[in-house]
Amino acid sequence: MSYLKMAQRNLWRNKRRTAITISSIFFAILLAIVMRSFQLGSYSLMIRNAIEQYYGHIRVQHPDYADDPSLENTFEYDERLLENISMIPNVKTVTSRLETFALASSGNITKGVLVLGIEPESEKRFSNPEHFLVRYRLTQDALDRLEKINALTAQTREVILAYLGESFTNSAKLVRIFEDEQVSADELYRVLDATKVKGRFLREADSGVVISSRLATYLNVSIGDSLIMLSQGYQGASAAGVFPILGIIRIPNPDLDSRMVYMPLALAQNFTYSPNRIAYFAINLYNTSDEMQKATTYSIQVRIADNELEVKTWQNLNRVLVQQIESDNQSGKAFLFLLYIVVFFGIYGTVIMMVHERMHEFGVLVAVGMNKLRLALTVVLEMLIMAFIGIALGYLVGLPVIHYYQIHPIRLTGEMAKMMMDMGFEPLMPMAPFGAYVVWQGVSILVMVMLACLYPIRKIIRFKVVDAIKR
Amino acid sequence: MAIIEVVNVDKIYNDSDVKVVALSGINLMIEQGEFTAIVGPSGSGKTTLLNLLGGLDTPTNGKIRVGDVWLNEMKGSKLIDFRLRNIGFVFQSYNLIPVLTAGENVELIMQLQGVPAMQRKQVAAEMLSKVGLADRVSSRPAKLSGGQQQRVAVARALASRPKFILADEPTANLDGKSAESLLQIMEHLNRTEGVTFIFSTHDQRVVSRARRVILLEDGKIKSDFAQ
Repeated sequence: MSYLKMAQRNLWRNKRRTAITISSIFFAILLAIVMRSFQLGSYSLMIRNAIEQYYGHIRVQHPDYADDPSLENTFEYDERLLENISMIPNVKTVTSRLETFALASSGNITKGVLVLGIEPESEKRFSNPEHFLVRYRLTQDALDRLEKINALTAQTREVILAYLGESFTNSAKLVRIFEDEQVSADELYRVLDATKVKGRFLREADSGVVISSRLATYLNVSIGDSLIMLSQGYQGASAAGVFPILGIIRIPNPDLDSRMVYMPLALAQNFTYSPNRIAYFAINLYNTSDEMQKATTYSIQVRIADNELEVKTWQNLNRVLVQQIESDNQSGKAFLFLLYIVVFFGIYGTVIMMVHERMHEFGVLVAVGMNKLRLALTVVLEMLIMAFIGIALGYLVGLPVIHYYQIHPIRLTGEMAKMMMDMGFEPLMPMAPFGAYVVWQGVSILVMVMLACLYPIRKIIRFKVVDAIKR
Repeated sequence: MAIIEVVNVDKIYNDSDVKVVALSGINLMIEQGEFTAIVGPSGSGKTTLLNLLGGLDTPTNGKIRVGDVWLNEMKGSKLIDFRLRNIGFVFQSYNLIPVLTAGENVELIMQLQGVPAMQRKQVAAEMLSKVGLADRVSSRPAKLSGGQQQRVAVARALASRPKFILADEPTANLDGKSAESLLQIMEHLNRTEGVTFIFSTHDQRVVSRARRVILLEDGKIKSDFAQ
């Protein structure tokens, strides 16, 4: 008769209590890993959208550019330096950009925009904006065209109205908005045909621009329309130009999507009278862990030592995002702490009941010769078995859920989506893949069970056999 | 040499400033192979004396020797281990471990002593056979009658090959037939194998079978005679 077997049989003594304790551990683990996974997944998405598709993990720029991102704080493009940085093993891609602010207008609508002068080919390798090229747009014009030929049922019209202004990078995404409705293939085909956009991404020699989808909607422009832009050029020159719109892209970051204008680097230099000048090298990394980021930063610092430039990480450049993530992370941890406190007292209550119920039996066991430490070990073993079963069940259910929603993120709609977009985030809720955070939830439960076990251990060590065996 | 020697033992309980003298000036010698009953009215100190003899409690004054060891010189796990190897217990309410079968209850003591599994099973079967329960090895306590449970408790006490067995009111919860059966088994073990039994009891049937009777009254030995 092993102690394990004895512990196991003791658990079946009071099946209901055991089931309740295991359930509380199971639900705690499930809730903790699912909630944490949603949180960490959202952070990854925010970072991916903001950092990998725009900022870059690291930037090399003029020391004053961070505080005053004007053309005066740009620097002379140096191809050798770019190649040098590219050769660092952890550097995935490097691209050079010129960035400035401008007023863009079409008709009588004007908006402040971010002009990004890029090298189209290297930018494709860096953030691949071409991947986000809009192929379909639900505009008022498209709706009017469809209504003119009576091509829509009331149902379809309602769906289109709900998504009016939205852009789609492929037909599947557009079709998905009708998936809950009874829409015929013909009708879908007509919608696809009427909303199709024939744009393309930039080429080096282009003299036009590609703009973001929300900006296009705001300015009420489409492919082939022209954008008038006014800005301040290098060394105080006035910059003005008319640029045809060659394409529209849908940037996942809603903030950037509402104000981005891409143009070829040479055109941007020409527009701002800053020949051969760039604002920064944006660098994406293979391994983004803190250690590797630090090591790569150091390697870059060594390579730019002779230039009057400095290295900035995305955390330096995005204090707001870092703080947003940090504060959300802390509130998530606080919620988990509260959850665990509740679960702890549940487990603790079980332990207290169990100890009081079995004190007489403990007395008999010690009377006939069982060492108190061995007895305590048996009780701890019982608690650990319950903990392991609860944790295992929590993982068994939670991990497939995490895996599923990691591949199929939840897309928020309605007010929630609007709120997220207002905050500058994509209204998506992906889950983070399996990681250390999953293991930590199990460890936390084990620590709590061990803490709860201190009560029976103390009771067993301190009880008097004579008192315990009295009925 | 007597296996148990009790020298000037007092036991006083201080319960919320009220002094209760449970035992006073107890001197006693018990020899190997005795079949002794400690009798007396409720509150006379029978259970207290058994607890002291079993090392479950400590005397306020005086000392107790078991074999060649003075119990007052041992504490904690040393004392528990001493009990494991030298003293068998039979309680009034059987006190078997409910999640273990009869066989496992008997084995438990030997397991604590570190006896190998094969030998444990063999001895447990043998002990249960001695108390007439060879066919109930796999039964849990809840499936046994009170008398059967008490016989398992005797088998458990025997399994550790103790110097003596302390039985606190062993027949108190049993019907006449079961009590008679248990007494026969204990007497048989005492006569044939020389197992020393010391039991507290109210039961006149038990008293009439004891070969030595110690009468306690108000915590003092009133009489001590052989019969």
